[in-house]
Amino acid sequence: MPRKRPTTLLLLPAAAAALTCAAAAEPVPEHPDFTGLWMTYSGGAQGRASGFGRPGADLPLTEEGRRRVEEYRQLAGPERLNSATFCASYGVPTMMSLPGSYPIEFIQKPDQLTIIFEVGDETRRIYIGGEQLPPEQRLPSRAGYSEGYWDGDTLVVTTTDLLDGQDQPAHPFSEQATIDERFSLEEDENGTSVLTYQATITDPVYYTEPVTIERKYEPYDGFIIPYSCQDEIWFELLDMRREQLEAGEPVDARMSDVYAVREGKE
Amino acid sequence: MSTIRSFVSAVGASLLVFAALDAAAHHSAAQFDFGQRVTVEGIIKEFSVKNPHTMAIVELSDEERGTRDAEFEGHSASHFYRAGYERGMAKPGDKIAILIAPRGDGEDGGFIQAFTVNGRTIGFGGLSPETGRPTASGSTSGE
Repeated sequence: MPRKRPTTLLLLPAAAAALTCAAAAEPVPEHPDFTGLWMTYSGGAQGRASGFGRPGADLPLTEEGRRRVEEYRQLAGPERLNSATFCASYGVPTMMSLPGSYPIEFIQKPDQLTIIFEVGDETRRIYIGGEQLPPEQRLPSRAGYSEGYWDGDTLVVTTTDLLDGQDQPAHPFSEQATIDERFSLEEDENGTSVLTYQATITDPVYYTEPVTIERKYEPYDGFIIPYSCQDEIWFELLDMRREQLEAGEPVDARMSDVYAVREGKE
Repeated sequence: MSTIRSFVSAVGASLLVFAALDAAAHHSAAQFDFGQRVTVEGIIKEFSVKNPHTMAIVELSDEERGTRDAEFEGHSASHFYRAGYERGMAKPGDKIAILIAPRGDGEDGGFIQAFTVNGRTIGFGGLSPETGRPTASGSTSGE
């Protein structure tokens, strides 16, 4: 599904100044523009696209970290349950590893970078600059609260206010974690734009030292496909109630009844 | 009318790589045996291309087990459409052949790795597990 998309543009200061003179009415970005669709970079070796699997043996886990990893292994069971099975969000940083090889979209404004992963239409927002939500108003979530600023051509982001990430498969973390992220653009030797994403997890509960992961993306020439999968169980409840209505019975089916039917099929 | 037969091919081998990765990505792959490939043929009762996984119910029939419905899982709707699937391509009543990773317990069912319906074949082995894009040699659609 190829489509035309604007070329990601990195404006150097001199070029920006020239363009300012040539087209004064056009706003000139002062920083790299990450806007566009991206997919796992294919031009070089990096870890598998999936963020799944189990934590690596080389992670610098604390004793408590090891205990929680082992506990989660038992919780997930031999069938290796994971959040995506139940349409729960991946959270940060797992969604940034593009588990399952799906594209991701970046939409950039001067004061905000919005990132949408295809799976589950999972969205995170990075607020750039001085306008920030007061810490006491930040609702903890799996994406956390992300505050960014520019360090030259690198967007530096600090993500806090995370929910517990014991179920994050490759790099679990606690609600005490802070994730420092860096986004930058470059071109490879073939002229392909490469967006480099780096995340450093600092978490005294799980790790004896910060853990850094890195992913590279390349432009994706396609479309994001709608992916909501939370709708289905809602429609199943409606179907169940419709059957009751048509049968002249009390319309009182509950979501627990839907789950019971699903469990019965397994 | 239908059969279950062993199926080994170079294409099948490449299918396994992607199927194993993606299946592991979204849910447990433990119930499927990705070390095996079999082709099943039957009549579609239901074919729902959805997220996080596609589900198909196919009527199978053979001398050993008689006629019964079997349920198959598949990749996400996103991967189906990127592999060339089109809405309405597979409908109830259509005859279908499915290459699957069978269930590990030997029961009917499995994880869809390719299928042929109404003269068209959709396969997932042609997608790179790293990029999700069709590879140069990948076969995703055709007769």
